[in-house]
Amino acid sequence: MPQVRIVARNFMDMVAALPAAKLDKLYDSSFICEAVLRSLPPLAKKYVLQMLFLDSPLTAKSMEEWVLPDGLSKHKVAIDRLLQLRVFMEVNDRKKEPSYKMNQKFQSNMQKYLTTGGTVPREPMPLNAAVRLPSVGELETYAMEQWECFLLQLINSSQVDKSTSFSSSMMRAFQRGLLNSSRDNEAPRLTENGFQFLLMETNAQLWYIIREYISSAEERGMDPTDLISFLLELSFHTLGEAYSVNTLTEVQRLAIKDLADLGLVKYLQGRKEGLFMPTKLATNLSVSLSDASSRKEGFVVVETNFRMYAYSTSRLHCEILRLFSRIEYQLPNLIVGAITKESLYNAFENGITAEQIVSFLQQNAHPRVAEKMPSVPENVTDQIRLWEADRNRVEMTPSHLYEDFPSKDLFEACCDFARDYGCLLWQDTKKMRLIVKGELHQQMRDFLRGQR
Amino acid sequence: MASAPSKLYQDDVSLVVALLDTNPFFWAAASLPFSEFLHHVIPFINSLLLLNQLNRVVLIATGTSSCGYIFDSGDGNASGNSNAVCSGIIKKLEDFVGKDSKIGKGSNGDGTRPAISSLLSGSLSLALCYIQRIFRSGTRHPQPRILCLQGSPDGPEQYVAVMNSIFSAQRLMIPIDSCIVGAQHSAFLQQASYITGGVYLKPQQLDGLFQFLAAVFATDLHSRNFLRLPKPAGVDFRASCFCHKKTIDMGYVCSVCLSIFCKYHKKCSTCGSEFNQAAPDSTIPDQKH
Repeated sequence: MPQVRIVARNFMDMVAALPAAKLDKLYDSSFICEAVLRSLPPLAKKYVLQMLFLDSPLTAKSMEEWVLPDGLSKHKVAIDRLLQLRVFMEVNDRKKEPSYKMNQKFQSNMQKYLTTGGTVPREPMPLNAAVRLPSVGELETYAMEQWECFLLQLINSSQVDKSTSFSSSMMRAFQRGLLNSSRDNEAPRLTENGFQFLLMETNAQLWYIIREYISSAEERGMDPTDLISFLLELSFHTLGEAYSVNTLTEVQRLAIKDLADLGLVKYLQGRKEGLFMPTKLATNLSVSLSDASSRKEGFVVVETNFRMYAYSTSRLHCEILRLFSRIEYQLPNLIVGAITKESLYNAFENGITAEQIVSFLQQNAHPRVAEKMPSVPENVTDQIRLWEADRNRVEMTPSHLYEDFPSKDLFEACCDFARDYGCLLWQDTKKMRLIVKGELHQQMRDFLRGQR
Repeated sequence: MASAPSKLYQDDVSLVVALLDTNPFFWAAASLPFSEFLHHVIPFINSLLLLNQLNRVVLIATGTSSCGYIFDSGDGNASGNSNAVCSGIIKKLEDFVGKDSKIGKGSNGDGTRPAISSLLSGSLSLALCYIQRIFRSGTRHPQPRILCLQGSPDGPEQYVAVMNSIFSAQRLMIPIDSCIVGAQHSAFLQQASYITGGVYLKPQQLDGLFQFLAAVFATDLHSRNFLRLPKPAGVDFRASCFCHKKTIDMGYVCSVCLSIFCKYHKKCSTCGSEFNQAAPDSTIPDQKH
């Protein structure tokens, strides 16, 4: 079992880590308030709604009464999150009981939203006959192409037909943690985290990349707060509408080019000025990670005889499937493979868990089989988990066996010595035998010499 | 009763079908004017749509002789400017009430008996049909629930239809929440919320209606397991008889189909089974006296 797992951390963690003054400035924009609200855990959303029109603070105790006893842990998580994001502020009154009040700006923005409704951040361009705008379908294919191209370049730069315009230092920043060069003259290999990254959902991968992008923004002279607010605003634009580049600030203009490379927006040249159109990847930015609507069509069919058919032409998909299955042949629109014990063992060696493989197969199930319950046959999923458990059957600890003790007292003394260090693994009092973890061996010898 | 887990969807996403009572006889005499009522309901709908990008809200108006769809947030045009949406809702409501009163006058002849109860059974059926259509549209759908905003008293003549809708909702695992904005409790809705596992609430102060709605009815179904929600003190389980539609406490029950009658009948009107037992009538002399 891998010890380290990439936690596809939500964008909001980064927002929450901003200093208090910058966070308050962010809440000036009602879109950010909306996006933050939507990212909260469900219980926290309810608390915000309940406190929205209350002017006076509410004690923490009275809030705890809103939940049943088994909901207390979720309650704590929700309140912590609200305090972290500075949506709730702590107020200390004379009775020294903690009570919470809502952030002023957040509250007024949300009240306005509820009574007058949402608006769009900027007006779309009027339809101009001179420039042909791509349709929603074309935008999606463009976005997918760009994103795949970027991912391929990320994992293996040599395999790509056309590369994106990211500088090599940027690419290295993205690759940090995902790839490492095992030896200097060899090509970099994917790390454990890298494999897990590939099997994650597109939205989760996108968040990871954007986080890295924003973290490195300061070095390139861009204010991360501006970037964050721009990205959140982007998610409220309407899909399929073109917006003029002239309405963007300097920072945003620099960012647009990079975002176009990632596939979040499509950059066009209009008659007089540049235009940009947000794609589905961008409009789904403010939705939280595990949402289903951002999922593209699945393409994998798994049969009960462990054969796998993937209706895809993408090289990225082929690489991902190669991680845990044996690809047998590749046709113009179909990749045929089999899930075998060897290929799975290979995957487990690289740090991928059975759960990740199974959830990848389920999430990317072809529409014809996705309707069935279960979408991946149970014998396949069970077998994958069993093969993983095979590797965990035996746990090995290097240790030493001590026997032939001259006296019982010496044996007891050794047992206590080992137990004090927490290294006693097994003892047999009748035959006076002792098994101790290997790391204690040297000290045990010194102890025995001292006893004699 | 636990709600059905939606397949492959996030826990939080919900579909709320809100049934608004538009009975003009009730609203004319109510303490809260209808416009004020809308001022509470429309921000509540906005808040539901705010909580999650994928939440959907459907408004159905319950009239005296008919019911109709007023608003569906899943339509493409609903995501525009909220003021336009709001005035759209108000206009549709006005049209609906006008049509409804015309139908009411027509069927009643010269309007001899003004209907005091609204057609709850009709709107419940409309809501259930809509939800069933959503269920059939694919594997991924939000978790549905029904919210009844009722003010008019129950009409006992609708007992059978309402109970049938309640049992269908129970089978589909759709909770029915009720919020009573009228003066008296509603036995039908108490039973509905009890049987389907929803929440029944009669707010004490109607000017704080939005706060009650946001605090109790805005939460999604999954979080309800962890929240302390209001429970009614007791549920009124009285039934209405099938023959005269009167509310009764004691009566005769057909052993085959369980229909309820207030007087003795020779034959059950619902299933047609004959009752062999002799009629208990006053000709049998009472021995003691």
